[in-house]
Amino acid sequence: MGMSWARAFAASGPPPVFAAIGAGGLQRAEELHGTLRLQRSPRQAAILLVLGEIAPDLLPFLQRLHDHLPHPRATIWHRATPPGDWTDPVQATADGLERTLTDLWRSILSGDRASEPDFLPDKPPNEWRGVGPHGQGGKGMMGGTPYGRPMAMTDDDLRDGLSLDAYSAPFGPFLPMLPPGLILDLTLQGDVIQSATATRPPCPQPGSDDRPGDAIARLMRVMDMPALALRRTRDGLPPAMGIAMLRRAIPDGLGRARDGTDVRDRLDRWRDKDAPQADDGTRLSDLLPGLEWHEAMIVLNSFQPDRIRAICARSGPEGGDEDDKDGNRDAPAHAPPDHGGHQHHDMTGPAA
Amino acid sequence: MSLIVGLPALLALLLIGLWAAAALDTAIGRLIVGRPVGMAATDPLRAVVADYLRQRTDTEAPDHLNWLLAPGYYFLLAVVGLALVPFAPDQSLIALDTSVVLWGAAEAVVVVAVFLHGWSPNAPFPLIGAYRYVAIGLPVMLLSMFVLIAASIPAQSLDLRAVVESQRGLWNVIRQPLGLPLFLAVVMSLTLRGPFDYADSADLAGGTSAEDGGPRWIAWQTARAAMLVAACAIAATAFLGGYLGPVLPGWLWLSLKTLAVMVAVVLLTHLVPRMPVAQMLTLIWIVLLPIAFLDLLIAGLGAL
Repeated sequence: MGMSWARAFAASGPPPVFAAIGAGGLQRAEELHGTLRLQRSPRQAAILLVLGEIAPDLLPFLQRLHDHLPHPRATIWHRATPPGDWTDPVQATADGLERTLTDLWRSILSGDRASEPDFLPDKPPNEWRGVGPHGQGGKGMMGGTPYGRPMAMTDDDLRDGLSLDAYSAPFGPFLPMLPPGLILDLTLQGDVIQSATATRPPCPQPGSDDRPGDAIARLMRVMDMPALALRRTRDGLPPAMGIAMLRRAIPDGLGRARDGTDVRDRLDRWRDKDAPQADDGTRLSDLLPGLEWHEAMIVLNSFQPDRIRAICARSGPEGGDEDDKDGNRDAPAHAPPDHGGHQHHDMTGPAA
Repeated sequence: MSLIVGLPALLALLLIGLWAAAALDTAIGRLIVGRPVGMAATDPLRAVVADYLRQRTDTEAPDHLNWLLAPGYYFLLAVVGLALVPFAPDQSLIALDTSVVLWGAAEAVVVVAVFLHGWSPNAPFPLIGAYRYVAIGLPVMLLSMFVLIAASIPAQSLDLRAVVESQRGLWNVIRQPLGLPLFLAVVMSLTLRGPFDYADSADLAGGTSAEDGGPRWIAWQTARAAMLVAACAIAATAFLGGYLGPVLPGWLWLSLKTLAVMVAVVLLTHLVPRMPVAQMLTLIWIVLLPIAFLDLLIAGLGAL
């Protein structure tokens, strides 16, 4: 009870939350954007909201994400089952979520509930044994994996022939601008994507495909129109003026799929509430290479959850997509393994 | 103007400006969503206190010194900008007869501060944000240079005090109608906002600030809001006649005009989407820079 004035004042505001979305949690996340203070990075959150079922292969990633939150922190499971070894899990029912959140926020700020400890050891994945005043390395300047850390190496550029450094890293599965559950292995030159494989496809999101308003909202959020993304007119879509602005900011011909539609066409279909498009065998390698990061995020958010899941499921590392140009090798929409054989990496993005 | 009186007054005004910026951002955001404005005036303060109470997170092998200093550089540049703004005839904290040039230099160093902030955490998203910001920052600084020189032409001086006095008959916003809209783009770029936010954007999970937690986050956001106050005050001075106005005291007119520019910038932030980098570069070089030349031409012909 001995809460200082400052702590009590802080606790009276809305808690900063980071949502880790699992299977079936996407639609609920869209609703919660309107009522909760959802942060873009776990570094700015105090409460980790696990939304939707987390497949066992995603648990190590969830634990690493958990450790990214600054102290004091806590986790809430909503429409999700905590694993058996999670100590003292807090679960929230559909209508009790906000209440549980504010109570938890108060109790971790006051110290009534201890901050959750790290799951992983807080030390570098590989020892720094470099020479020099900053331990910056050994001999040579580029390439290789000194001390277990992959270094960028010059490589041919897809666009202009400049040989800039190429850098490979996994991104996902809980990045807010990627489809939840997706782990992308990307090779980047600056912010230009050279190659992309999905080492794990996104989680299934039943019922999300017939919600075009939510799909437009996700696209708006990636292009930094978060307030308009939350507004809905009577037809369940964001305001027409906002959609028109959004459309104008998207380059013509961006993200053309094998059926010939680009991002603008797909946005038009959502706006006109046309039925979701059938799968056409598109792969990530048709879409992403050569795009800048911002364009790539627009493209990934221009597909409904089921379709991007199908695209990613056939874009895995063993897909051999370069030599399989006639596509349609398999129809994986129902098949992606939730216990996929992705390898573990020592390096992840900030919100990985 | 003595520094002993002036500096505390300036910092007090800046503090009020910071609070106004945060409250405006929250309130306008909620109005656009269609939610009640509620505690928009105090919610940002609660968030600030909460973040100060929380842990300062680190990444693996960051550039500790620059990560700590980057918000300081950014904040200091905002203070320099605000100190150049005259709040009464011949009264500004930094009395310099080339104050437009010093502001231009401060704008250019903002690019360095934002880059260092993205460089320091030693992580991919902040670094991508940092490089992208530099790419967009160069042509945006050119824009700023042209419109501010155009605003200085009627005054025949690069001194903001003279620029305000030259608007006694007619404000620059009417004399050079292209200037203020172009400068609003510069303000959004300097403050990492909406359509010109290539550093701290949503597609990079927060870009240069993606790794900022607790006090680091608050420090950077405070500096960003301070730059908004300073850049809007410069806009009010160069295009809206600064302290000029009837009845009310000059500093109050300046504050009201600064607030009006701030409302415009916050509205644009929320309503305009951000294009991909290549399209934005094309827009700036092919469309906005020629418009800035036209603005300069109009100002030049007007002076003849």
